[in-house]
Amino acid sequence: MVVVKRRELTFWERIYLPEIFRGLAITFKKMFEPRVTRQYPEETLPTTEVTRGQPRLVVKDDGNIACVSCGLCEAACPAYAITIDGQETERFIEREPERFEINMLRCILCGFCEEACPKEAIFMSDELELADTTRQGLVYDMKRLERPASTLKPRIDYVRRINERW
Amino acid sequence: MSFVIILIKGALIYGGLLGTAAAMTLAERKVSAWMQLRIGPNRVGPGGLLQPLADGIKFIFKEEVTPDGANKGIFRLGPIMAAVPAMLTIAVIPFAGETTIFGIDFGLLSLTDLDIGLLFVLALSGLSVYGGILGGWASNSKYSLLGGLRASAQMVSYELSLIMTALTVVALSGSMNLREIVEVQNTGNFLDWHCFTPVVGQVGLILFVITTFAETNRHPFDFAECEPELVGGFHTEYSSMKFALFFLGEYCAMTVMACLTTVLFLGGYSVPFWEDAPWIVQVGTFMTKTAFFLFLFIWVRWTLPRFRYDQLMNLGWKVFFPIALANLLLAGAVISLS
Repeated sequence: MVVVKRRELTFWERIYLPEIFRGLAITFKKMFEPRVTRQYPEETLPTTEVTRGQPRLVVKDDGNIACVSCGLCEAACPAYAITIDGQETERFIEREPERFEINMLRCILCGFCEEACPKEAIFMSDELELADTTRQGLVYDMKRLERPASTLKPRIDYVRRINERW
Repeated sequence: MSFVIILIKGALIYGGLLGTAAAMTLAERKVSAWMQLRIGPNRVGPGGLLQPLADGIKFIFKEEVTPDGANKGIFRLGPIMAAVPAMLTIAVIPFAGETTIFGIDFGLLSLTDLDIGLLFVLALSGLSVYGGILGGWASNSKYSLLGGLRASAQMVSYELSLIMTALTVVALSGSMNLREIVEVQNTGNFLDWHCFTPVVGQVGLILFVITTFAETNRHPFDFAECEPELVGGFHTEYSSMKFALFFLGEYCAMTVMACLTTVLFLGGYSVPFWEDAPWIVQVGTFMTKTAFFLFLFIWVRWTLPRFRYDQLMNLGWKVFFPIALANLLLAGAVISLS
């Protein structure tokens, strides 16, 4: 058993009023100090290439989607958020997704899909805001997931740099 | 004609009171935000100035819930009893001396000039205990009941010190009429204000301010609400405009108590070095002094933690009551010697 001895208060502290005035002085001073609030919708936090936002699909510079619908990200996804239906294509890579959906309500932004992807086709973007009035509206189809490679460039470079370490 | 004048004065004073209460709800949130390095409400209107309006509209459109097993009549009476006495007391507060606007003689700028004005205020503010205890009891909830009980116990204990301290001022100025109390202090020399009476005045002022905190259920004495222990105290079960009425009552009571402190200790509407100032200056002076006390209410709330219940009772009975009595005695000695 631990007995904690309370410190005896001095008379000055026991009459309480001087300490109250001291406290009041502190709060009054604080009124004129700079604010720390960030006005969120107007002032967002700065994002960097390390920011792990929502996953996005890469559209290569020639206008084709980089995904070959191998299904590795679908398998890696711990939240079962990804659904892929593949189809054949005339292009050299032979396969592309017919349907690629990410249920953003399920997505936990873990980044496993990015790690699993052998074709550098899916990356975590710096887009973080997620709001809708229906559940169906938050199941993102291919059209809403596609981003040109140029906008994802910093993240792509970052992931390549990290991967080189191993 | 005099009836019209009373009507005008009533509209002005009650408009002012309700406006102050509304402004206080905003000020409370703004000042608390500033003290915590936040910004506070700033979305409704310029700088958040229309926030009280938005709050009011929201309160009106909220669903009114009456708990099962509540005593409907008394449940409804609770908020009324909390708000009405607090609003009534403003009637005797003098805001300025003899007033003439556009050549029309308005007389004293208060609704009535009661000879027992101070008694009237104290009696009615004592009545506002019923708001809490009736509301708390009728809600049929343990938290509400405890809150109501605590509110009444606290008010009864602190009312004693409040009255004793007010009596000191009555003894010093020789009248219970609030206008006369102000006139005694309104000599152009601000050292004649009761708060500058050596020892008696200062002790009286501090005691009075602290007991008004307890009387209006404000921090650090807000045992009637006491969120961590009692959820919301006596207004746990209230919603919609009934809840808003409780708050209106609280803020009106604060305003009246700030006015009363000004009248009793800071010379009411008397302007330093200007004995018969025009009414507008007097009203301005009065409002400035009152505003300080209103700010103090908020300031203390966001500085001090809540007392423990036994500490509250100890403080009321073993510290404030003896000091108030001794102060009254001292005031008597000072008066009889001079």
